[in-house]
Amino acid sequence: MIETSDIRKNLKLQIDGDPWIVVDFQFVKPGKGQAFTRTKIKNLITGNVIERTYRSGEKLEEAYIEEHEMAYLYAQGDAFHFMNNQTYEQIEMTAEQVGDAKSYLTENMTVEVLYFNNKPIGITLPNFVELQIVHTEPAVKGDTVSGATKTAEVSTGFKVQVPVFISNSEWIVIDTRTGGYVERVKR
Amino acid sequence: MSNVSNAPIRAYPFPDNLKQLLITRHAINIKIRSFFTDAVYVEVEAPCRVKCPGIDPYIDAIPAGNGYYLATSPELQMKRLMALGIPRIYQITHAFRSNEHGSRHNSEFALLEWYRTGTDYWGIMDETEQLLLYLMVGDSDDQDITLIHGVPFQRMCVDELFSERAGWEPSKAWDEDRYFLDWVNKIDPYLATMPVIFIYDFPAPLSSLSKLKDTDHLVCERFELFIRGLEIANAFTELTDPLEQEARFKKALRKRRMMKKEEYTIDEKFLDALKGGIPACSGLALGIDRLIMALYGYSEIGMVQAFPETRL
Repeated sequence: MIETSDIRKNLKLQIDGDPWIVVDFQFVKPGKGQAFTRTKIKNLITGNVIERTYRSGEKLEEAYIEEHEMAYLYAQGDAFHFMNNQTYEQIEMTAEQVGDAKSYLTENMTVEVLYFNNKPIGITLPNFVELQIVHTEPAVKGDTVSGATKTAEVSTGFKVQVPVFISNSEWIVIDTRTGGYVERVKR
Repeated sequence: MSNVSNAPIRAYPFPDNLKQLLITRHAINIKIRSFFTDAVYVEVEAPCRVKCPGIDPYIDAIPAGNGYYLATSPELQMKRLMALGIPRIYQITHAFRSNEHGSRHNSEFALLEWYRTGTDYWGIMDETEQLLLYLMVGDSDDQDITLIHGVPFQRMCVDELFSERAGWEPSKAWDEDRYFLDWVNKIDPYLATMPVIFIYDFPAPLSSLSKLKDTDHLVCERFELFIRGLEIANAFTELTDPLEQEARFKKALRKRRMMKKEEYTIDEKFLDALKGGIPACSGLALGIDRLIMALYGYSEIGMVQAFPETRL
């Protein structure tokens, strides 16, 4: 058990059997009165974000989340298949569990699969991934405005804004935290 | 030839805007001093290290060795000075409170505190409004000028506030746990939407060192000032009855004992001063760091202090 004074960003809590992560928190103490910690927490399974207020000294239960390094294999319908790089055990996750990460998954990409109570609940991607452009319109001749961008589709079907000089079948780096283009890479 | 370089010196790990901020704080402190000097207040110096910190169930003092504590407030000493017969005193000092850390709390913080005879908490409220207007006008382009549009600032009593926002009147059906939880969950979010508001007439159990209202003993003559939900100041018509004061200290001590908190010694010298006669007076304590946050739109107390705990 931990106490309210241990609350910090990214602390994982077990509440009513579910794993939650602290997104934000604030110490509050109205006029010479009792102290509280107001938190904004995100459910690690549903992604639902709620606010919850704890009285100072209240006991909280930490959620233990395990991370396993796995390779993404393939998707079949709604099922995403991964293989544990150490044990070679294969697992299946639903599109809901994979969430927005599916925009960046390509075959053999290494990800961290999060486990809570021995069940996979989600994945953490590398911060940067390399993806290949499958479709983008050629640059309009004479469009030399610095910072001009256009839409490009990458192999996963994800659409991203890229500089106008990027062309079909080139590889680019995308920041998975923002979904934004970072740079062009030669492969 | 001068050896002084004009090149900016990067004083890691200070934030870039700290230099400007210190100039702003300096300007605010000068204006505060000029406001009180013009109103014929005498600046006094209460100690930062005391033997008997104020006794409040939820305010914890930081031990300073040899039986001393860092002062949680200059209140008891300043009131003792009122017995000297100076009608108006103020000071800018630092106060210290244990276990208060967060975006709006730092264990050490700058405090403006003042006391005067010849008025009650309403007079202090008017004076606070004048001080705010004085600090708000023409000081800097960086200020949140929308605050000033609310003049005269709104005033609302605690029971009305709770009736509207939480559906009950705390003074008439006191429930401490419910009160503070509702404050945090229902009152705070509402106050955050208000530019400047005075909340007055707190329930009697929260009277601390304030006088109960003659016409309604369920409430006390206390108010607090909030700017965009940030608690800036707390004021009382001061309790000057020594017997009532002693009873309240004892009650607060019993509560601290129940909560298994350190039990401080009752400040007998303060009680003696009350017995000898402290004139009827009223006073206010204002957090200068938070005032700067509110006026200049900073979200964290650590952004307006040169040396928050994280930079020590």
